[in-house]
Amino acid sequence: MDKPDTKGPAQPSRRRAIARGTALGAAVVGAPWIARFAHAQDLGPYQQGKVNWRQAEGAEITIAVIPASYFDNLIALAPQFEALTGVRTRFEKVPPGQIRQKALLDLSSKTATYATHAADPMYYPLYVSNKWVDPLDRYLGDAALTDRAWYAYDDIIKAWRDADSVDGKPYGIPYDGEVTVQVYRKDLYDAKGLKAADTFDQLVSNAQALNDPANRVYGLALRGFAGAGQNMYIYPSILRAFGGNWGSGGKVVVNSPEAVRALQWYVDVLSKYAPPAVRNWNWPDIADAFSQGTVATYIDAHSSAAVINNPEKSKVVGKIAYARWPKGPSGKRVTSIWNWGFPINAALNDRAKRATWLFILWATSAETQARTSWKFAGPAKRSGVNRVSLWRSQEFASAMKGAGDNFIPAALESLEQDTDVDWRPRVPQWPAIGETMATAIQAALVGQKPPKEALDEAQARIQQALKG
Amino acid sequence: MSGRRTFRRLALAAVAGFGLAVWAFPVLWALLTSFKTERDVLAYPPKFVFVPTLDNYREVLFGASSILPNLWSSLVVATAATLLTMLIAIPGGYALGRLRYPFKRASGFYVLATQMLPPVGLIIPYYLVLQKVGGLDTYAGLVAIYLTFSLPFAIWLMVSYFEDVPLEMEEAALLDRAGRLRALWHVILPQVRGGIAVTTIFVFLNAWNEFMFAVVLGGNRVRPVTVAMFNFISVEQTQWARLAAGAMLAMAPVILLGIFAQRHIVKGLTVGAVKGGGRR
Repeated sequence: MDKPDTKGPAQPSRRRAIARGTALGAAVVGAPWIARFAHAQDLGPYQQGKVNWRQAEGAEITIAVIPASYFDNLIALAPQFEALTGVRTRFEKVPPGQIRQKALLDLSSKTATYATHAADPMYYPLYVSNKWVDPLDRYLGDAALTDRAWYAYDDIIKAWRDADSVDGKPYGIPYDGEVTVQVYRKDLYDAKGLKAADTFDQLVSNAQALNDPANRVYGLALRGFAGAGQNMYIYPSILRAFGGNWGSGGKVVVNSPEAVRALQWYVDVLSKYAPPAVRNWNWPDIADAFSQGTVATYIDAHSSAAVINNPEKSKVVGKIAYARWPKGPSGKRVTSIWNWGFPINAALNDRAKRATWLFILWATSAETQARTSWKFAGPAKRSGVNRVSLWRSQEFASAMKGAGDNFIPAALESLEQDTDVDWRPRVPQWPAIGETMATAIQAALVGQKPPKEALDEAQARIQQALKG
Repeated sequence: MSGRRTFRRLALAAVAGFGLAVWAFPVLWALLTSFKTERDVLAYPPKFVFVPTLDNYREVLFGASSILPNLWSSLVVATAATLLTMLIAIPGGYALGRLRYPFKRASGFYVLATQMLPPVGLIIPYYLVLQKVGGLDTYAGLVAIYLTFSLPFAIWLMVSYFEDVPLEMEEAALLDRAGRLRALWHVILPQVRGGIAVTTIFVFLNAWNEFMFAVVLGGNRVRPVTVAMFNFISVEQTQWARLAAGAMLAMAPVILLGIFAQRHIVKGLTVGAVKGGGRR
């Protein structure tokens, strides 16, 4: 029997009644389109795949995701998956700060609570070195489990596939992802005759030209908040654009001369042209400020387009344009390779593994990607679809029409040309390294320590982490 | 003379007013925010006058991300943890405060020692233990874990209240041939009513506001409101207005409890402070 099943039957009736009541409430009051949509769509496109979708019928799997509209859309369509496969799904929404912790606890204790979870690509080296997740080439290569022609794995964006692979083997399948791009106010740029920056120097001169704190307009904003997913999300791009790297052969070097120059640049532009509070800002704060018209340019996830174009919140709708990262001193543009992928928990039993794979196949298939994006009946259309063919499609283009000028070209070119799998150090010790670097970067950003000193200290600490 | 007195009163009022304002501002600001639209939340300069909306409350109560089941989870966990804690802490505190038995000091220290570990260090052991006994994401599991920190706290608080009860009262009861338990029930407990009320409220508050254990050891079935509210801060955006509405709803039961028990709290706090001082 599947492990997750054991929890099911013996629940007190009161709790069940409440659960039922809530589910009903959510369906009726909250989002009537959920119920309508779930049954309206047919399963034909999936059944064209030559896979026995019913092979794990009756299994129940729990999936941990983060609270985000792109997962909400998927959850809304889960009844279709259940109708297709007879596999029951339970979704658990865990805040992004905690999902890694919970997944690590679950994987390391082999509890098999989560069949799969929205995984941080940087964690695969750790997962794989402990054999906590299954290599997925087995599943992809097994004709009983995957119809390769129908599924078209290679259509999934290469940078994201690479990010979810270790030593060439895939361990997670990307569901949703993003690239960092320049986002700017074309009205402000036009008024001064400026163009989107092509180099770091132009980025700085644009920021300088537009910086006007007296009128609450700041030239540039970048994530300053300390965190592996915050300042350590932007800094790697700067480091790589300065020609730096993270060392090689299991060694991690964070205090190279390029690194010091990169961090110095980060400190300088934020202290000169960014809102004073930016050192404590994560990207929602930057997007909020931009949508209020107080920031002229920022570099961050392309998916932030949804926030800055939200008419209920934003004052800058229709004035937004996008461009790729500018070239750094080394001539390189380096964007992020972030994606939320789904791995398979190695502690599951065989049937649950097959059920989980079917779920992953379904969620990451071109059809579900489209159904959670432009075909979605609800208000949020996902902009992080995982396939090149979808990015190039007319339907996606028209769904993203409202995002602003040059949205799809900027993001797609970034995805195809500016990605680099070694954007951040891909080693099992990443969690510790990420946090150490985040602290060091913030120490420099707030002026507590000069960049060189901050990075030297980080290097010493990281050496310890690698030894231990 | 009277001028000086007026001045003192005014100064006192000013200091108290300032203190109150500092304390109340975030709460009032959250209250205002909970009635704003997202656009008004971000407005600069901040708006004090705006068209209030109930949408945020409608959404957090009846919308797709309703926190009603989470409020229920919180209520069940906090109430069960509080009742069990008090059931054990009252006799436990009495024993530590009054009785003589072997290893009393050691056991008192042991109870306190469990409080000395940083809770974050305990999460993983707790997770593993609960996993072994099937207690993850269950009410029983979470309540059991809450007892580990609420019990020592409650026992030690109760000890101080029991120690305040004049020994003579108990001796008189014992002389009148009341047994230990009867004396405890009829004579001592009425004397520490205030202390029981204060302890109960603190234990309940701690359990209600707990986040760290709840987020790791809970799950889909048992998800207290503190964890659910966190989901309004998503990776995409922070829904400030809904977060504020959720916070207001989560605060309401505690504030009601506070108002209801205010008399006891104030009495209990002062009594605990001046040891052996006045009569109650």
